[in-house]
Amino acid sequence: MKNILNKITSALWKLFSFALVLSIVLASCTNLEEEVYSEVTEDSFVPAESDIVAVMASSYTPLRFIMGWQGWFDLQEESADIIVTPTRPNGWDDGGTYKRMHFHKWDNLQWQPTNTWVTCFNGINSANRVILQIESGALPVSEEQAVSITAEMRALRALYYSMLLDTHGNVPIISSYGDELPVQNTRKEVYDFVVSELNTVIPDLTETVDMSTYGRMTKWAAYHVLAKVYLNAEVYAGEAQWEKAIAASDMIIQSGAFSLSPTYTEIFDAQNEDNPEMVFAVPYDQIYAPEFGEHMKMLLPDHRSVFNMEAQPWGGSSCNPQFIDTYQTGDNRLEDTWLMGDQINAIDGSVVMTLVKEMPSIYNCTFTQGYRLGKYEIESGATGSLNNDFPFLRYTEVLMIKAESLLRTGRAAEAANIVTEVRSRSFDNPADAEVTGAELQDDTTWQYGTLAEDGSIDQAGDQSFVQYGRFLDELGWEFAGEAHRRTDLIRFGVFQTKNWYNHTPQGDHTILFPIGLEQLNTNSNLDQNPGYVK
Amino acid sequence: MKQTNSFKDIGSGEYYTLYKWLFLVVFLLMSFTSMAQTGIQGTVSDPDGIPIAGASVIVKNTSNGVVTDFDGKFQLDVPSTNAVLTVSYIGFETQEIPVGTQTNFNVVLKEDLQELDEVVVIGYGTQKRADVTSAVSTVKAEDFVKGNVKDAAQLIQGKVAGLTISAPSGDPTEGTQIKLRGVSSLTGGTSPLVLVDGVPASLSTVAPEDIETIDVLKDGSATAIYGTRGTNGVIIITTKKGNYNERPTIEYSGYSSLSTISEKMDFLDADQLREKYAEGYEFVGANLQDFGHSTDWLDEITRDAISQVHNLIFRGGNDATNITASINYRDLEGIFLKSETEKYTGRVSVNHAMFDNKLKTNIAVIASEQVFNTLGDGTSFDPYIYRQAIIRNPTEPLYDSNGNWFERDVYFYDNPVGYIQETIGENRYRNLRFDFSMSYDFNDDLTIKGLYTRKGNSNIRGFYRTKKHVSTVKYGQDGFASRGTDDYRGNYGQITLDYDKKFGKHSISAMAGYNYEDNVNEGFWATNRRFPTDGFDYNNIGSGQGLQLGEAGMSSYKNSDKLIAFFGRVTYNFDDRYLLLASLRHEGSSRFGKDNKWGSFPGISAGWRIDQEDFMENATWVDNLKLRAGYGVTGINAGSNYQSLSGLTYGDYFLNNGNWIRELVPSRNANPNLAWEKKKEVNVGLDFGLLNNRISGSVDYYQRTTDGALFNYSVPTPPYFYPTISANVAELKNSGLEILFTVVPFEGENFNWTSNMTYSTNSNEVVSLSNDQFQLTNDFFYQGYTGEPIQIETHRVKEGEPIGNFYGLKSVDISDDGVFMIETPDGEIIPATESSADDRQVLGNGLPKAYFSWNNSVSYKNWDLNVNLRGALDYQILNFSRMFYENPTVSYNVLDTAFDKVYGKAVLNDVQRYVSHYVEDGDFLKIDNVTLGYTLPKDALKFTNSFRIYLSGLNLATFTKYKGIDPEVNRNGLSPGNDERDKYPSTRTFTLGINFTL
Repeated sequence: MKNILNKITSALWKLFSFALVLSIVLASCTNLEEEVYSEVTEDSFVPAESDIVAVMASSYTPLRFIMGWQGWFDLQEESADIIVTPTRPNGWDDGGTYKRMHFHKWDNLQWQPTNTWVTCFNGINSANRVILQIESGALPVSEEQAVSITAEMRALRALYYSMLLDTHGNVPIISSYGDELPVQNTRKEVYDFVVSELNTVIPDLTETVDMSTYGRMTKWAAYHVLAKVYLNAEVYAGEAQWEKAIAASDMIIQSGAFSLSPTYTEIFDAQNEDNPEMVFAVPYDQIYAPEFGEHMKMLLPDHRSVFNMEAQPWGGSSCNPQFIDTYQTGDNRLEDTWLMGDQINAIDGSVVMTLVKEMPSIYNCTFTQGYRLGKYEIESGATGSLNNDFPFLRYTEVLMIKAESLLRTGRAAEAANIVTEVRSRSFDNPADAEVTGAELQDDTTWQYGTLAEDGSIDQAGDQSFVQYGRFLDELGWEFAGEAHRRTDLIRFGVFQTKNWYNHTPQGDHTILFPIGLEQLNTNSNLDQNPGYVK
Repeated sequence: MKQTNSFKDIGSGEYYTLYKWLFLVVFLLMSFTSMAQTGIQGTVSDPDGIPIAGASVIVKNTSNGVVTDFDGKFQLDVPSTNAVLTVSYIGFETQEIPVGTQTNFNVVLKEDLQELDEVVVIGYGTQKRADVTSAVSTVKAEDFVKGNVKDAAQLIQGKVAGLTISAPSGDPTEGTQIKLRGVSSLTGGTSPLVLVDGVPASLSTVAPEDIETIDVLKDGSATAIYGTRGTNGVIIITTKKGNYNERPTIEYSGYSSLSTISEKMDFLDADQLREKYAEGYEFVGANLQDFGHSTDWLDEITRDAISQVHNLIFRGGNDATNITASINYRDLEGIFLKSETEKYTGRVSVNHAMFDNKLKTNIAVIASEQVFNTLGDGTSFDPYIYRQAIIRNPTEPLYDSNGNWFERDVYFYDNPVGYIQETIGENRYRNLRFDFSMSYDFNDDLTIKGLYTRKGNSNIRGFYRTKKHVSTVKYGQDGFASRGTDDYRGNYGQITLDYDKKFGKHSISAMAGYNYEDNVNEGFWATNRRFPTDGFDYNNIGSGQGLQLGEAGMSSYKNSDKLIAFFGRVTYNFDDRYLLLASLRHEGSSRFGKDNKWGSFPGISAGWRIDQEDFMENATWVDNLKLRAGYGVTGINAGSNYQSLSGLTYGDYFLNNGNWIRELVPSRNANPNLAWEKKKEVNVGLDFGLLNNRISGSVDYYQRTTDGALFNYSVPTPPYFYPTISANVAELKNSGLEILFTVVPFEGENFNWTSNMTYSTNSNEVVSLSNDQFQLTNDFFYQGYTGEPIQIETHRVKEGEPIGNFYGLKSVDISDDGVFMIETPDGEIIPATESSADDRQVLGNGLPKAYFSWNNSVSYKNWDLNVNLRGALDYQILNFSRMFYENPTVSYNVLDTAFDKVYGKAVLNDVQRYVSHYVEDGDFLKIDNVTLGYTLPKDALKFTNSFRIYLSGLNLATFTKYKGIDPEVNRNGLSPGNDERDKYPSTRTFTLGINFTL
């Protein structure tokens, strides 16, 4: 036994001494630091002056979701009375998402409002981060730069908030970059925040309008956002602000920095960056900023040969025939906005197909049923992404905000002058372009009501008078397919009351979208908007 | 005594202590001392006729004996005709032969079924089967699945209870799917750790024909020694080895095989479509009109695939050096045109023994080269082509009147033959691995071993779409090329100290070790378009004009990680009755957060060999009865590098004063708390062998709990910057039963039948999806996706429910006008057109609750027959093909059944929907592998030692109610059971093969 013990002891000694030597050798082999090669980590990043714009850029780029898949355009148009996406031979049910938009039966999983929430807060978050980096001195900027960049970021943040104010209303106001779980605010608070932020930063914003400020928040862009928010103040905050809307519009008009585009079509050209209407554009580029894909959803696969495209569109959305019926004779905007009738092969001139106005049902349309949005120029060789910049805030809208505010405050004639001025470029005969104050106070010319498969009205629904309905029609003709319509319909009380196409109203709560399930799940401070299940 | 000891040493296989001169001396001594006795001679061989060198031949109850030489021959003098010879060799049953008057003996040893003395490979060492205290399975080469197997895993398909191996794809470049004991991780995957000769590798590092045994460590107490990668089990592959003093041999094995599509889906052919036109059906899109031809599109892109595999192994050695060298060639065709792969694998391993065998060294090199065609950019077959073939209008011609590929402007609709013929692509891979190992015995008890491996693989890819490809014809690419390359290199080193000691009834062993591993990956990729000519293919990528126009793409990357571990193990055996094993691994990975880089993984297991107890002495019918229990903790490493660090990316472009510059955006939230997923497992098992081991098997029950399972968690933005974060949040639970049962119903001179059955169950549950830091207001999230145009999630992962639950609308009826009627969770019945996402409910589960297999091997004289049956029970499959194509309203060609009445009532007249009508039971029984072999009798052989010829079939017949092609569908990930419509169909394969040894 002793022998065995001795052997064990000696073996253990050997083992121990060996392990000791080993561990000394190995001590250097326990380093687990990560080596980073093709990435930048936040700890190791020291921004140079050239990085300042790159850091700021991340607050602007989210805006490109406007013309992207299930983006702002779809949110504003699919839910309104002009654009419809029916089931087509190649699908377009997509889990019923377009039908829910049309029927106003969205739930907390609906993509378009969720995308809007996520994207806008992405922009807000980025803006806050830049502001923090400037305050903390992490970015190498001069004092002067610090003031102007901070103002620009706050104005941009207000732009994002103006969008959320419109869609979700009761969203958390986050004015600094931190790690606190955000607390929800009321729609009124958000409205006040947007107004006060814009008014605060406007003096520090640049007045320059040239290539260096193109696509950036200038003083005029900020006034435009402010005017738009004031225009909808009654919806957002319960109290109308027509005079303030006029005042903000006047600041832009009086700046002389902008003018009406000579023709309607060139606003939507592929190369529209020097159009005099652009108060604030979202620049797109086929190569660099390829998110403009809305045309793929509108055009038919066969439009490839019509426009000599290098892509084959998908052919989903088209125009509610009821809207086409409202256009006045002589209004060139009908042709300038919609692709209708025979579609001609770009190379051999043959008729590729013929588009018809009628769309029997949201459940069943063929490819060629329904006129397609054609106001954004499709260049020869266009791909799945267009070069056209999106005129997010354009000068005509400034004029129309002023006109509407005048109209609503008893100055119909003044309003009519502005509207006539806007219309005049779209009518060959100047007399046809003229409108009167009385006309603008008329009811809408729309025949609201749901359509039977043969195109006749089968359920008229609410036929009550729409106050200033004719002005709403003017907005429709001018801004069709520019992601305005939902906001306008709500302001005129149509959105939540009228029947159109296959849609019947679902109640007042629909003027706000539900907060997304994912957002509710991850932030226990959020309550769902009224009228929606959690 | 001394002599028998040395015989035993030969037999142990591990300690090759005899020298040639010792042989001579022993022979001489024996010859001299037995002058007056009768001389006999003979050979010893295995059942295949291969001579056994080193077998011991002893006159029973004496010390008089010899060992066989390289050719299995022996000569011996026996005292009288009454003597009895005892012939033995490890792994074989000992035979006793009365000498009688015979002087020439041909002894054929049968393989030992008892296997208790067999050596089992466990982590960083070996153990006798009898001493094993955890769930470990061993499959040897002779029991492997024969025929055209995809990789090493398919060799043991259906052979190991609880290890599910399936081959859902017929793509010859794709491997198998492996699942062990359910789903233990949400994002960590289900791949087991694969070791080839002790070094982490893949299932295709060595050729299947070059493998000797595969050991599978299943439970946590066994795999805890592998810590971070032990959760999904460890598959230990041991390659064929040479032995010291082995006669040189050359083994050839080879086969050629024919594969066909296992089943086709019935879409409308041209005649059927014309009938529909005649019946007045109107279609849109693809089937809009009759184009006047009759084309079987699937036939146009498929073929009978012929494959061949050849394998050569050289083995041999003297008393100081032995060598194994092998070369393998595989030329495999898939059933689709241009779907094929060619691979060469070579391996050389040299062992050296020096200084009285105290120092043993090994140098090995494994190299392989593989090349396969690509039809997708960098990927083998592009399943989109298969989709185009089945949905295409069968009346369309291949070519238009100008001889170009016939194309039309239909949404996502391209000529599949043109797609294949106008694509040129090739991926070429090279793998290289250098092994060096050394062990030194300080004395009988203490050994130190060191191992170092340098490994690397690289690939280069080229891909080109011509100007006649639809990418140009429709989308103006004007020729598209891409080139890419990836490079991986890694170092692996380990040092272990082994201590073994036996005193009295106690025997202990201890092992301590250190293990270092690092990996570096880097790569480069470029694309271009607008080429002046098709003539360059992808070989002159700079000649495209897309680069100048900003339409070219380019990227590169590099990343690295490290894994370091200290580990130790102690085993204790008392009187061969009570067994204990304890191990601990302390491991660190660079992938984890600053505060959590290191984790500890203990494992402990115990065994009680009941059959060795005194009270069992009279139960002679019990050969083996062992109760085992174990507990172990393992981990799962983070899926990718740098997840704990916050990241910034130069992302999208931004227009700044007329110039486009890149924005700088966060790409990842930092999570310094990122840590190991820990899986804790309890395993209880019973091994038994009864009636001379005619009945044997094992039963295991396990329960495993994963804490802090990693998931990409949605976080609120703000305050977070990026909407997801990788965090240790969820808790998962798996439990199940595994039964292996082997019976030998017949055992005789000419006829033998061995039958083994496996049965395993698994049930899993998502216990929790929240923790203190990340809390969900809802206790579920959605997974899986139908794709357009249905565009909805297929699965829901919910607390308290198992993973794999299908979640959708429950269809119960159809309206007269052909719209599905949906039963809501409240029991209300509404048309599908009025249903919403709120009406969804659980429709089934995609993970089988049980798997079984039944393997039979029968031999009669020189004939042998193996029949393997496999199946899975109690699960559902979402049949995407029916969901998409069993609908007459879609704008593509459809299944014949699209015009059948749904629920016997009405033809469907509704958009494609995800409803329970397409969720089918998947239960199946497959006659999977049947092999008939014939071994030539030894006297018929002149130049060879053995010769065997066999015929084998894989995936022969399937019995199931499932309407799709194959009920063995994808079971990985969090949306198992989705039978995707574009899946490369599985194949049926017939193989003719020969093996011989020179």
